[in-house]
Amino acid sequence: MTDGETPNLATLWFLAARAMAIAGEDMPVVQEAATGLYAQAILGLSEEECKRAKDADHIINKTLIDCLSGLRNLPTELAEKVITGVMMISYADRSMRPLEVRWASMLASAIEITPDDFQRCCVNARVIASMLRPQGSSA
Amino acid sequence: MLRECSSDRFDVATAGELSMTKQETNFKFLERFDKRVAELAKQAEEYVHTDPDSCMFKLRLMVETMAKKLTSLQMRGDISKDLGSMLGALERSGTIPRRQADSMHAIRRDGNAAVHGSATPPPTAMRRLKEAYKISGWFCKIIKRGSKVKLEEFVPPDPPTPLDNATIGLHGRIDALEESIEQRRNETRESLVMFGPDEDVVQVTRRIKEELEALDKVAAAAGEPVIDAEFVALVMAMDLEQIEEDPRHGGDSRKARRVAEKQLDEIKQHLADREREFLEERTMLMKQRDTMQT
Repeated sequence: MTDGETPNLATLWFLAARAMAIAGEDMPVVQEAATGLYAQAILGLSEEECKRAKDADHIINKTLIDCLSGLRNLPTELAEKVITGVMMISYADRSMRPLEVRWASMLASAIEITPDDFQRCCVNARVIASMLRPQGSSA
Repeated sequence: MLRECSSDRFDVATAGELSMTKQETNFKFLERFDKRVAELAKQAEEYVHTDPDSCMFKLRLMVETMAKKLTSLQMRGDISKDLGSMLGALERSGTIPRRQADSMHAIRRDGNAAVHGSATPPPTAMRRLKEAYKISGWFCKIIKRGSKVKLEEFVPPDPPTPLDNATIGLHGRIDALEESIEQRRNETRESLVMFGPDEDVVQVTRRIKEELEALDKVAAAAGEPVIDAEFVALVMAMDLEQIEEDPRHGGDSRKARRVAEKQLDEIKQHLADREREFLEERTMLMKQRDTMQT
């Protein structure tokens, strides 16, 4: 850890989600609005928790390694929800780039999810992405 | 009432730059960019004191006209004609920046409230008119690339008759309420978006990208295969189709949709409830004003 404390769920979520969005290179055009909505609707985070997690002084020193190690310590069900949300962000723009695949792979390894469970998360992610997907695309 | 004036507020400066000079209407400059939008803006301006609801109708229609034009210029695909969806799509595509989108959504919301019978207080209409003025300057630059539109400070139209002290006081309270509503809406928005307001998005993005690339190199050095993303995505897509058709996973995905829809609906309902509370607070103040006037 960079600051001696384990990132909380909100911080882990925003780190993981940002990494996936940035790996997709189109960030934050499509994924931005879905990020907080997923945090509050599916992960059950409050507005205040989401805001605190993105406080510049709080999140600036957190790395992706912190994120991976924090996820490893989450209960399996919660970690799977995070992965589902991250995959939803990846599916939101209907394309995958090498770094997106790599980040998904690293997250899956971190929580030691089975291939079957990972596929289940992907199916759920695609379902949710289809609910949030914008109509039309930019020219 | 609008102040009378013998000439335009604008001069066409050299190199296509526009600047305001005299007061007739705040929106004269719009005419050379979009006559329909200019007309709606001027009508809204005329109604702001005498009929705030009509002012909001006109402003909403103005925003809708702008959104349709931006959609036809910048977007492709099947875009919903619903204003909320249009603005959402334009914002997600990066056509409308966050600040302008917030103002356009605020006009849409208050316009809808007025249509549905919630009385618009004059300070609210004035606030939205000012926002429409700022959006207009940005809109002109977008629809005519290279245009330089220099907005002068917005000049609030004068009321037809001077307001008494009690009304001025009440309008002050309504304005304070609007301010607190804006603040609460901003807090909700800040909680939803990916980055905090004080974060340097460019720097954070660069840092995360560097970390991802470093981790990718570590993975490759550790013997992980180099990723052909298109191939992986194709395989995943094919797998997903099969999994979704599988009764076991199909059951999961249907359940996931139901659960996610329920949870999303709850959050949307929560946001809608808050908007309704805002309107109720505003309506209460309007009733006080009506009582004072009678």
